[in-house]
Amino acid sequence: MNRKITRREFLRYAGLAAGATVLASCGAPPQAPPTQAPPLATAPGAAATQVPTKAAATVPPATQVPAGPEPLTLPIVKQPMTLTYWVETNPNVAAVAKNYNEILCYQELEKRTGIRLDFQQSPVGQGLETFNLMIASQRYPDMIEFGFGGRAGGASTPPGGPAKYLKDGVILRLNDLIDKYAPNFKKVMADHPDWRKQIITDEGDIYGFPFIRGDPFLLTYTGPILRGDWLEKLGLKVPTTLDEWYTVLKAFKEKDPNGNGKADEIPFTPFQNPKYLQGVRGAAAFIGAWGMQVEFYQDKGVVKHGALQPGFKDFLKLFAQWYKEGLIDPDFVTYDRKMLDAKVTGDQLGSLIGNAGSAIGNYMGLMAEKNPKFKLIGAPYPVLKAGQKPTIGQQDFEFQGQVTAISTANKRVVESIKYLDYAYSPEGTMLFNFGVEGVSYKMVDGYPKYTDLVMRSPDKLPVAQAMCKYFRSSFNGPFIQDKRYMEQYYELPEQRDAVKNWVVEKNDTWLPAVTVTQDESKKFATISNDVTTRMDEAIAKIIVGQQSVDSWDQVVQQLRQMGIEDAVKIQQGALDRYNKR
Amino acid sequence: MATQVAKRVNRGKRIVSHIGLGQMIAKDWKRNKYVYLMLLPVIIYYLVFHYGPMYGVIIAFQDYSITKGVWGSPWIGLENFQQFFSGFHFSRTVINTLAINVIDLLFGFPAPIVLALLINEIHLNPFKRLVQTITYMPHFVSVVVVVGILVDFLARDGVINNVLVVILGISPTAFLQQPEWFRWLFVGSGVWQHIGWGSIIYLAAISAIDPEQYEAAMLDGASRFQQIRHVTLPGIMPTIIILLILRVGNMMTVGYEKILLMYNPMTYETADVISTYVYRQGILQADYSFSAAVGLFNSVINFGLLIFANWFSRRVSETSLW
Repeated sequence: MNRKITRREFLRYAGLAAGATVLASCGAPPQAPPTQAPPLATAPGAAATQVPTKAAATVPPATQVPAGPEPLTLPIVKQPMTLTYWVETNPNVAAVAKNYNEILCYQELEKRTGIRLDFQQSPVGQGLETFNLMIASQRYPDMIEFGFGGRAGGASTPPGGPAKYLKDGVILRLNDLIDKYAPNFKKVMADHPDWRKQIITDEGDIYGFPFIRGDPFLLTYTGPILRGDWLEKLGLKVPTTLDEWYTVLKAFKEKDPNGNGKADEIPFTPFQNPKYLQGVRGAAAFIGAWGMQVEFYQDKGVVKHGALQPGFKDFLKLFAQWYKEGLIDPDFVTYDRKMLDAKVTGDQLGSLIGNAGSAIGNYMGLMAEKNPKFKLIGAPYPVLKAGQKPTIGQQDFEFQGQVTAISTANKRVVESIKYLDYAYSPEGTMLFNFGVEGVSYKMVDGYPKYTDLVMRSPDKLPVAQAMCKYFRSSFNGPFIQDKRYMEQYYELPEQRDAVKNWVVEKNDTWLPAVTVTQDESKKFATISNDVTTRMDEAIAKIIVGQQSVDSWDQVVQQLRQMGIEDAVKIQQGALDRYNKR
Repeated sequence: MATQVAKRVNRGKRIVSHIGLGQMIAKDWKRNKYVYLMLLPVIIYYLVFHYGPMYGVIIAFQDYSITKGVWGSPWIGLENFQQFFSGFHFSRTVINTLAINVIDLLFGFPAPIVLALLINEIHLNPFKRLVQTITYMPHFVSVVVVVGILVDFLARDGVINNVLVVILGISPTAFLQQPEWFRWLFVGSGVWQHIGWGSIIYLAAISAIDPEQYEAAMLDGASRFQQIRHVTLPGIMPTIIILLILRVGNMMTVGYEKILLMYNPMTYETADVISTYVYRQGILQADYSFSAAVGLFNSVINFGLLIFANWFSRRVSETSLW
């Protein structure tokens, strides 16, 4: 019987359909199964021959590989293979490429090794959340690039550190595999035992292939910055002691160096994104004159906390004095990045603490047309008395926690190890740092010089982004960063001179990336949180003058009540374990 | 189900028929099934996304680890709660949360009511619509923009300080750096932003009042103001009470986003609330079970307050949620 569907039936089916769609939409998200390229019938024509030797001309000759691991030969596989690789998308890369496979060095890698990477990229800025989701889903890709190693006292990875991921069966312990299959990496670690110490866990396990900054020049990039043109105009020399800084700042305030007839100059701000005292906290500028830092640091193997040191009160007294005389921006507590930019480009700020790249390079680039005299220079870290040399200045460790680990779901472990090992070979280092010869760099007198494709990009891209189209040295990855990249990245002489001024010899008060044990981590996190909150508040109020410098003694009492000494003991244990590695 | 169908005819009085529960449901379904079907997706949505995930609250009693998952993480009982209660800043965050909510209740709750009453008195329709549109608009602006405007206006050289200096001769104050100002600025900017939107529901309630009541009041010689007091307000009182009960059910909650945007170390002592403390401890340190514990604590208190408010309202008036 072909009757028309009644209104009643229509509604019934519509309702059921609506219900069904709701249920369907709650289903599991689509999975990305680890893929393997099906074996091809023909031998891969794309398999590259040995790397041309002209690239090796400037690079140390192929070294003797100790008998043990097999030497690495290319291509790694006879038939093309694909491995999955999780990575947090770098914002500069996102500006120029949708997928990391568009980066020239990876295309070249695929040609040389026969292995293609299927990248699983997190959205920009959501690395930690996406990483946690991936871990919770227990569907791991073959390789995972992430900051497993965390940072000293930092909070980018869950407590327990990398050892936790090893114990919980997420990633593999690589020591034996490296011994057998990774000759290049093994050699690098043998040549640099201090690097090896940083990349292993307290138990001695290697958990991934690390990003290492291979030269001291790469480790210092922040320091005190002043308006060089104002110094010249007022006939002042670059300050080196705290008293000289006082003179300079007072001159900035009173002598109208920006020449507009108004006393609107702001001599100094200690802000560095994102916190109001970050310049002092992160780089230990100014406070380093008393031989200490704001938070945890070490003094010949003994862990100390700046807040508990008597010198801290002197530091507060100095800054409170400067604030009272109007030498520090009255609003410095409520700064954000935009405010800082505005005050620099508005010709008001006289000095700050910043990076050679993002401060000096950025601001001078912005102001070049508006004010050709605008000059930012880097001053050495100030000391207490004339003639002293600075003992503390910003300096990263070669290893900052970023590694590429091999997950337990990987079915092609040997090939993965070999693939990752290539990056530590001389040819691999060149590839990751400079790209492909003839395209992104040319050898000039034995020095790899970036071509105009990178430095003067035809798409008018800033250098940092143009670099991301060809190689990875401008952001981290599983390779060793070469200092010749940074020497060219710093285009202005002021930048290079700044770094030279900032480098401090015997800069050994920084705490390396030590790990707190899992049991202590919860307690440590709570104490740290409370301590940081209290300190932020008290320091702000004392500098601004709302509370007297002597009230700091009371604050220290409160910090002791919160358990700061226990936190110091926990860090001491972590440092001792680190030193024993 | 055993049902008794009994019909009692009571000599001219009402016929009372008793039917069982099962039959009642069947009858209701037969008559209203399409309405129920329409409701089904919504019910499923709530079941799946709101009731279903509730089991996750058990991580409040665990030391939750991402890699071990909910069922593999070790149990630590009330330790997370102890950690929360013994925190150095615990009492401060609770006091600040309650203080902000009390101020918001005292000033922010009546504000939309007053605005609705005022708008109701406007007889020039174009003007009425203009006022409504202008007052609704801030609701749609993102809180980030609102705080950005606030920071700019309250800066040392911002609009507010310029007015104070030029007209009143007072030296400029950095308002956002003074703890005494924080709560008022927080609540005040919230009132400005949401007063228009909040007045909609009261305007709807006002329009439902029978005009005959107004006529009767006018006949009795009531002035405009007396009409508001004796006709309008009692007319919308059920709406006010319901919304008040719901508002009381939120006393332990202050959203962290706006606080984060507005506070700085100078104002921690009045601005640091439970949610910002949990943000620092639970999210930044990835201590998810701690955040879950605090969230559970908040929800339990809120729920308790809600039940109390409802009971009280039922005792004192005839209106209540249930």
